[in-house]
Amino acid sequence: MQAEIYVAASAAVFGTGVYGLILARHILRKLLALNLMGGGVFLLLITLGGGADGPPDPIPQAMVLTGIVIAVSATAFALAMLVRLYQETGRATLELEDDDQEGGGDG
Amino acid sequence: MGISLVIDVLLALGLVGLALQVVAGPSLFRSIVLFVVFGLVMALAWARLHAPDLAMAEAAIGAGITGALLLMTYRRLVELNPEKRGETYLGSRWLAAPVGVLTGVLVGLIGWAALQLPPGDTTAGTLARDALDETGVSNPVTGVLLVFRGYDTLLEMGVLLLAFLGARAVASGRAHSPGTSEVSEPALVGALLSLVVPLTILVGIYLLRAGGHAPGGAFQAGAVLAAGGVLLSLTGRLVPTDHTPLVQRLVLVLGLLVFSGMGLFMLFAGSAMLSLPGTWAIYLVETALMISIALPLALLFAQAPGLKGRGH
Repeated sequence: MQAEIYVAASAAVFGTGVYGLILARHILRKLLALNLMGGGVFLLLITLGGGADGPPDPIPQAMVLTGIVIAVSATAFALAMLVRLYQETGRATLELEDDDQEGGGDG
Repeated sequence: MGISLVIDVLLALGLVGLALQVVAGPSLFRSIVLFVVFGLVMALAWARLHAPDLAMAEAAIGAGITGALLLMTYRRLVELNPEKRGETYLGSRWLAAPVGVLTGVLVGLIGWAALQLPPGDTTAGTLARDALDETGVSNPVTGVLLVFRGYDTLLEMGVLLLAFLGARAVASGRAHSPGTSEVSEPALVGALLSLVVPLTILVGIYLLRAGGHAPGGAFQAGAVLAAGGVLLSLTGRLVPTDHTPLVQRLVLVLGLLVFSGMGLFMLFAGSAMLSLPGTWAIYLVETALMISIALPLALLFAQAPGLKGRGH
């Protein structure tokens, strides 16, 4: 039962991340959404690797531990790029100037 | 049994609710803070899922260091352009909700299907557990990270170093001085730091040592040390330098050098690449990894090529 609960939670968190990624215009928000998606995947991996009737599988745990460090590295790099973008253009969105007012297209 | 199930349901609902607040909340600052809370609730979920190593890593790295990086960046953006502080930057795209729901359902179906699979007799996890006695460490996660999947850990250090180098490459030449240096600080800051920073180092070394037989390890220890560095640069005790001092350059690559050097040595000594000759080697590599994790994280937070003490 525990596994089903966390599988459902990981799916919902991942879906929320995708929703946020599309919805967000500010790059910081997009990064938050991407990190949420990562969290959902990590949760799914660990839930599937957690033996219900025995010790949990150490392989997914080690992989997710690696994943957490990679996630913070990638986020830090993206944040540095965001700061530079903001210094150069004064904007923290990925849209072209014309799209700025109307909330952008669907892409 | 009933109570623990209630806890699981509450944690799951908390995760989903916080995630929704993070993506749909009106204020960007609030979203960042709630993201940190999400990381902490996730740490509780890891503990419930029998993954204490992950719980510590999530609390220290996923919530702590990531949160500090996000807040620091938010502050820099506000400093660069104070008028835009209140903007929400939430678009309205009709595709967002259906796509989000559909991908969520897809992941749920994949997870549900994977749960129906019969458990395998010999998985990589059971093999790793059985071979754990030969490694000299009894924490299976540390064993997998250092002994059975050493390439992952080595390349992960490479990614961290690349992220730091990339962040330096895109950063503009203008030095960023945190505003705390000239402001007179409260009298208690110094006393607090002299208490907290030694404890941070102590906890870091303990986590490293404990990682062999209990939850902990180089990554958690490195994150705790990095948090000490974050604290010191927030309070102006460590100030950014224009160039990376030689010692810090060496520290940045120390983990990669020690791990790959040891791995190559074992290759030429007739063993497998990256196999470690004993428990002492595991702790040696872990110590180097810890230091080489802590420094780039602290430097990434300070958004500086190097750090030095305030007095120098």
